[in-house]
Parts: sequence; C-alpha cells; structure tokens
Amino acid sequence: MSTIKPVEMTKVSITGPKRELDTVISTLYDLKVLDIDETTYEGLDKGEPFEQAEELSQLLVDIRSLKSKLPEAESDNGNGFSLENIQDSVKEINDEVDRLTGETDKLKSRISEVNEKIKFFKKIRGTDLTYKDLKGTGTLNSLVTSSKNNLDEIKGDFQIFNGAQASVVVYRDDSDLESEIRNRVGEEIPVPETDHEGQAEEIIKKLKKDRKELKSERNRIRSELEEISKEWYPRIDGADDFLTERVEKAEAPIKFGTTDKAFIAQGWIPSDQYEEVEEVLAEACEGKIHIQKEEEDEQEPPVKHNNSGPVKPFESLTDLVSVPRYNEIDPSIVLMLTFPLFFGFMIGDAGYGVTSFLVFYGGMKVFPKAKAIFKSLMYASVATFIFGLAFGDAFGYVIFGGHSELAAVTGIHLFEQIPILWHRAEHLGQVFNIAAIIGIVHVNIGYLLGGYNEYVKHGLKEAFLEKGSWLVLQIGALMTYMYGFAVGGPVLALSIILLFVGEGVEGLVEIPSLISNILSYLRIFGVSVAAVVLAQVVNSMAQPLLTSGSVVGLTAGIGLLVFGHVFNTFVKIMEGFLQGIRLHYVEMFNKFYEGGGRKYLPFGAE
Amino acid sequence: MAIGEFAAIGAGLAIGLSALATAWAQSKIGAAGVGALAEDDSLFGSVLILTALPETIIIFGLVVSLVIAGFI
Repeated sequence: MSTIKPVEMTKVSITGPKRELDTVISTLYDLKVLDIDETTYEGLDKGEPFEQAEELSQLLVDIRSLKSKLPEAESDNGNGFSLENIQDSVKEINDEVDRLTGETDKLKSRISEVNEKIKFFKKIRGTDLTYKDLKGTGTLNSLVTSSKNNLDEIKGDFQIFNGAQASVVVYRDDSDLESEIRNRVGEEIPVPETDHEGQAEEIIKKLKKDRKELKSERNRIRSELEEISKEWYPRIDGADDFLTERVEKAEAPIKFGTTDKAFIAQGWIPSDQYEEVEEVLAEACEGKIHIQKEEEDEQEPPVKHNNSGPVKPFESLTDLVSVPRYNEIDPSIVLMLTFPLFFGFMIGDAGYGVTSFLVFYGGMKVFPKAKAIFKSLMYASVATFIFGLAFGDAFGYVIFGGHSELAAVTGIHLFEQIPILWHRAEHLGQVFNIAAIIGIVHVNIGYLLGGYNEYVKHGLKEAFLEKGSWLVLQIGALMTYMYGFAVGGPVLALSIILLFVGEGVEGLVEIPSLISNILSYLRIFGVSVAAVVLAQVVNSMAQPLLTSGSVVGLTAGIGLLVFGHVFNTFVKIMEGFLQGIRLHYVEMFNKFYEGGGRKYLPFGAE
Repeated sequence: MAIGEFAAIGAGLAIGLSALATAWAQSKIGAAGVGALAEDDSLFGSVLILTALPETIIIFGLVVSLVIAGFI
C-alpha cells in the first residue's frame, strides 16, 4: 500500500533488569526495526558500552586498514577464522604488507627512472658518441638540445652531432664559447646518470635489460602480496562483518538510560510492527522485561518512505535533495509521475530511448549502490521511447509519416494504436507553447501540494492564504490578459492582499519569482531543439559518406553514425536528467517541499 | 522570418552574453560546491540546486533573443 505520506511511527520504551540487556540487544539487532533514540528520562545514568567495545573497535580499524591495502581475493577458507587468531596475526600481516607495498613503490619509481633514461638515449640515437663523450672529457665539453638555431654563426672549436630527436654539441672547454653556444641553443636536455658505457644503442639495450629485471622483481612481490591476500582476505572480510556487528551491539547501550540494576531503551518503530516486536522481545526474555508505547512528545519521528512498486526507485531522487519531514507529502510519487515525462518529452526519440535504456541497465549492473537511481532513469528511457514513437523520430530521422507504415514494415499492429502527436522536428515552434503550458501546470501542482501540507499543519485558512493566494494571483493575471485591467485588476489586488496576510512581505517579494519559475520551463523547449538538432547534425555529416557509393565511404559513414549517436546518447542523458530533475527540485519543490526530516535507521540494518 | 541584420546581432548578443553570465556564476558556485561535497557528500542535492540556479539568466537570454528574432 502506497501512501503519499511517510510510514506512521510509534515511540516505544523497553525496560528491564540489566541481566537481560544482552538478550534485548541481540534480539533487537536481529529484528532490525528499532530506531534507537537517546533516552529522555532525567536522573538516569548513561549506559556503558560493553567491556570489549574499545578493544574491538580498535581491532576493527586495523582490519579495515589492512583490507583496503590487500588486493581482493576469493577462496574457500573464509569461514575458518577465529577472533583470537585474527587479533594475533593482524599486526604481523599489516607490517608485512606495508613492507611489500613499500618495495613495490620503490621499484615503480626505479622503473620510471629507467624509462626516462631510455627516452633520453633514444633521442640521441644515431650519433656515434659514447656516454663518456657526453659527460665531457678534460678538454671537451658537450651539451644536448633539441633546437640549435644559428650555431653556424659562431666562430670557434665545436661540432654538432645530430641524433634522432636531439643534437649533441661538443665544444672545447672555453667559457666564452660555452656561453655563446648556450645563448643560441634552446632548452638544454640534462644527461642522466648511468653506470653503463658505450654508444646510445648499446646503453639502450642494457637499460632495457635493467628494466626487465626490475619488472620481474616487481611481479614477484606482487604475487607475494596476492599469495597473502588469497590466504587472508576472505578471513579478514569475514572478521570485518563479524566485528562490525559486535561493535554495534557493544556500543548500543550508550544511548540507553541505566540505574544500578535496570536499563531503559527508547526508540521508534513503525506502528504496525509494534505488536510483533512486543511479542518477540517478551518471548526472548521470558517475560522479564516491560515494553510500552510512549506518549508522543515534541520530538519529530524518523521518516521511512512508504511507497511501493514503481514509486520506490524515486525515493532516492527525493532523498538526494532532502529527506521529507514526518508530516509532509513524500514527493517521490510526484517525481515518478512527471520526471520521466519531462525527460521523455525533451529527448523524444525512439532510438535514444533504446540506447539510454541500455546505458542505465549497464549502470545498474556496474554500480549496484546506485541501483535505485538507474531504475528510476529506466522509466525515463521508456517514456523517451514512447514519445519518440509519438513524434515519429528515431535517431533524428523521421521514421514514418504514420504509424500504419511502421506497422506494415514490422508486422506489429500495436504501433497503429499509438497516435502520432505531431512531427516535432518540423514544428519546434509548437514545442515552445507546450513548454510554457507544462510550466504553468507543474508549478500549480506544486502550489496545490503546498496547500495540502499547510492544511495538515495549520488548517484550511492558512492553506488558502499562503498557497491559494498564488492561484488567485494567476487567475487575476489571466483575466487581465483576456478582459483587460478593469476586470482582472480587482482580482489581482485581492490576491496580493491575501498573500500579504498569509506570508507577509516575503510573499510579495516572491511575486517576480513566479514569472521566472514558469519561464524556466522554457528549457524544455531549449533542450528539445538541441536534442533534435544534435541528432540531425550527426545524420547530415554521415549522409554524403553513406551515399558516396564506395565501401570505404560506407564504412566511414556507419562508423560516424555509431560514434555520433553514442556520443549524443550520453549528452542527452545528461541534459535530460539534469534539466528534468532541476525543474522539480528548484521550480516545483519550493512551492511545497520543506524537507530536513531524519531518516529512519533501524538498529541492525545495513 | 527575415529579420534585420542588427536585430540578428542583438539576438546573438542577448543569448551569448547571458550564457557567459550563467557560466561565470556557475563556475563560482560549482567550485565552492565541489569543495563542500569533499567535506560532506550528503550535500549533493543542495549543491545541485545551487549550481542550477543561475540557469535562469540564460533562459531570460533565450526568451529575449527569441523575441528579437520575432519567434514569439
């Protein structure tokens, strides 16, 4: 059952003797329903964490740090860990892993040094100079550079040796000559240090051999690390989960109130689960504890979304802005109803509907954490596909004049049922008007929802004054436009008075923002134009290639189409998502949505 | 619809300059927003909204240029 409000919560308190504390905590952990609140009774001591809490959390920190350093590995000795065993070995393994990663880092930097050297000698390849010549002898000096302009003009004892990409200038050791040469050449390339002798060709060969040795050393260390990981990773992973649970349980009593012999725990549970919780707890403790519903106090209950089926994935889009308050409308259902329509209308192309669906499906597999958001976007893809058919567009081509043609081609008669709205690509001017109408409708839905929120919180009068006045204002504006100021003026004046009474001066200051909010929906028109034109640009670029008649042209044309439309798919996803979602967040939500609720986080849940 | 040359330049300026203004504002907000996200990634929604706000400027630019071009 889906409602537009968050789940109803009940505050409960659990009281019992301290011997039952362990049982209560592990039962609650398994139930995963109680959102523990700090106890509000005065005069009680704060609960102490279980004895090992500190030690365990220290161990947990060590284990997590070790886990982050090890490469992930799977093997079947994951279950065979004991806490003592892990506790003893964690430090030892940590030191060993640190030593190995330190060595890998060192090797990495040495390999890149050798690479630099090889690069240098490749540049001067082709000169018959040896390394000794480069470093200079008693009477001769040299410098290496890639640009040697106007050296011919210098009088003096020097010679230029040209290599593959750089030249070596060898000159008599004379400071005047040296400074003259230095003034004329470009940037000097420093000669790296090496123990190898001989000409560039030989040195490169030797350096490559060095590099090979370093690399095999690095691989050896890497496999050593993998070996450790294979043995320990699964155990450490298991210990991580195990300890996380232990630490959470050990620290739970901090929020409880205690006396010498007894404890009291308070928290929120969904109202319809109260009886179940009461029963399970009483059974676990053999009736030695007392559970009761607490009077509603001034605290606001935590918020658990109450949506089912298709609305569920949109909850994460709501929480992206802010968790709803306990007593306001959960806007997830609004997002579910209009966000896919906006996205679909803006992109409006059957081809991109399919490709974006594939992208979102892939995203869901690759990033399981963001599953809900990708799922909600898949609804948007479906809407895009349907709008694409209604506009008769696929990848920027007008695919058919009427759906009967498509039905004839594919043999699927369902297409005949979909009415073609109009060829959007040929009548973009009409999209402009539609965007404005969408804006007016959407913003006013926002006011109506806001009115409902006000009605729930403060009553009908406030709802009418604060939100209804905006509707009257718009009606006044419409009447002024249609029948002149004599008719519309009084209505406008009335609405402004209502607004002033309802919201004060802030309300009056907000009036211009209504216009800018509605105008903002013209981005639907803007994105629509961009969507159509971007697709057509790719097609028109590929067109001459496709009709060139040669195999090369045809291949290039198809390649261009594929690349262009893949690129467009991502551009359109970004545009459709950002522009579609911001119209909700900024233009619509500020008419009714308050947000800032506390999310329901039951003890024991992930 | 044929429009005068100066009107066309005006329409271009209207959208071009307002696009620059939007970009300038968004660059500042975006940079600060990313900084805030580095501290606390639960702010994503608010940062997105704040970054999106200056887009109103270019929508106005678009409307003005369409008016000049005789589209509206």
